[in-house]
Amino acid sequence: MTNFPINNPPISHSPVNNAALNSRPNNKAPQLDLNIRVNYQQFDLAIELAIPLIGITGIFGHSASGKSTLLRAIAGLETSLRGEITLTDTSLPSKTLVSRTLVNSEQGLYLKPEQRQVGLVFQNSRLFAHLTVLGNLEYAVKRCKNNRLSLDEVIKLTELGALLDHRVNQLSGGQQQRVALARAILAEPKLLLLDEPLSALDRHSKTQLLKMMLNIQKQLSLPMLYVSHSLDELQQVCDNLLVLAEGKVVNFGNIHQVIHQLNNDTNSDIIHQQTSLSLPIKTFNNGHGLTALALNAHEDIFMVCDQTFAQQTQLRCFILASDISIILTEPTNSSIVNHLFGTIKQINHQQNNVLLTVHCGSQDFFVTISAFSQQKLSLTIRQQVYLQFKASAVRTFIH
Amino acid sequence: MMNSDLQALITTLEMAALTTIILLIIGTPLAWYLAKMTSRFKVIIEAVVALPLVLPPTVLGFYLLIAFSPEYLPGQLWQQATGQQLAFSFSAIVIGSVLYSLPFVVQPLQKAFEQLGDSLLEAGALLGAGPIDRFFSIVLPLTKASFITAASLGFAHTVGEFGVILMIGGNIPGETRVLSIALFDHVEAFDYARAHLLSISLLITSMVLLAAIYWLNLPKKTAVRI
Repeated sequence: MTNFPINNPPISHSPVNNAALNSRPNNKAPQLDLNIRVNYQQFDLAIELAIPLIGITGIFGHSASGKSTLLRAIAGLETSLRGEITLTDTSLPSKTLVSRTLVNSEQGLYLKPEQRQVGLVFQNSRLFAHLTVLGNLEYAVKRCKNNRLSLDEVIKLTELGALLDHRVNQLSGGQQQRVALARAILAEPKLLLLDEPLSALDRHSKTQLLKMMLNIQKQLSLPMLYVSHSLDELQQVCDNLLVLAEGKVVNFGNIHQVIHQLNNDTNSDIIHQQTSLSLPIKTFNNGHGLTALALNAHEDIFMVCDQTFAQQTQLRCFILASDISIILTEPTNSSIVNHLFGTIKQINHQQNNVLLTVHCGSQDFFVTISAFSQQKLSLTIRQQVYLQFKASAVRTFIH
Repeated sequence: MMNSDLQALITTLEMAALTTIILLIIGTPLAWYLAKMTSRFKVIIEAVVALPLVLPPTVLGFYLLIAFSPEYLPGQLWQQATGQQLAFSFSAIVIGSVLYSLPFVVQPLQKAFEQLGDSLLEAGALLGAGPIDRFFSIVLPLTKASFITAASLGFAHTVGEFGVILMIGGNIPGETRVLSIALFDHVEAFDYARAHLLSISLLITSMVLLAAIYWLNLPKKTAVRI
């Protein structure tokens, strides 16, 4: 098994999971063990990885990187698969860990999709057009063996109460995906796979569904694997991130660390270089429309206040590297509210730009400046500098 | 309508109904298999199924007559199993009709299954539905119109059958004498009045049946969206 180092436990959405992560690799934590190969004429997928089933795990990569194929393999829809897939999860009500082999091609074992207890929400909702919304939900309930979840509870979680009698083709794209999500949950899977469920939706529906996914994950402690080509979405909800390219694992680990490692990936233009943060909210509104986030015991970051922050204690946010600038002396007469003192840790030349990694307190920040500015300021490693960025440069996808 | 014509009508309806039921039972799995098949032998099976569309019915009838006769294996086996001769029996014309009307049932079903695709079946499987469950809970309700078309076409085509029945059924009242054969008899006997009566009733029945099929297949507002 390739174990990618996860140095810091992710800031998890469900409190029980950090303990599970720490107990690795003695194989006693809920996890998905993959050692699989799928060969097509144009494309090979080869993945050997143990994915801890913690919160939401993002799967990111270009199109044709094998993201969807991986999900289909786990779900049992990819029949030309060789290798082994084992799902270890907590069996209720005894709360003991149980390992189930989903596939073992050497032993000729291949569980059918209907036997795997793995749910999948597709990009197109794939609702049954001959049934109403309620009919679609009941389809899952009727075939569920456990019936631990109440239909009413799931309808409430997915806000479908007013739509139950509607025909599914009368619904908007966002509503259809909510029905698909509710239907998948009602089958009470041990693992929920999400294959770009938001890609066809508008921004408003996207944020609504992301919040819903987070909430459902917390309420039901349902581990999810979430495939997306949008890093902004993944950054908001995922604890760990798996990056695929050409059917192989490029990186796997804590979401922020993996995003930061992608910043320095010179041959990839797959992301906007950024500093990805999970920070506690210190003051929701300082009286001037700014929210203060605690970077560490002494320093705060200010961002533009949003009403929805009022209900949260923790915030996922990111600052694009191009939104931060460098100044050699402390700016005291600036409209820019965020100033951080730090030390240059790394200088990475990329065409006409320079990517600086600046260590502030215990946090690395990523800054792109022009090669011209770097020469003008003659910046060197271990040099002490100030970072400055506007409150509006601290962004969050969900609001 | 005279008594003998009424008897021919009853024989015809019995034959067509039984044929349609048998066709739905064997035609559905065959159509499913063809819709999902990717092997290159698919075209050969498709050609065999479509053969009755182009073959003169008398050719099919001729070979069936030989096969059903007690000198050949199928006829022998039948006689051993039932104690009766297969050729010139009601069973013979039902078997002949099943083969003759096969494409009219298999082709619309195959097309419907191909159009339905795999996406909804995958969704059903992931919700815990097994293959038989998926067929009855997803495939059947979503392809209902095609089943009605297939059954109606199979039934109508069997009612209109002549050549095959003439070859393998002969003209035994109450057993193998169907409407089309009775009509042929009347014409041969220059009894044009009875021939007219039978012809017009067959014509109107077929017309009504076909109109009903096309009406059922009108595009609906609730089209399948996948």
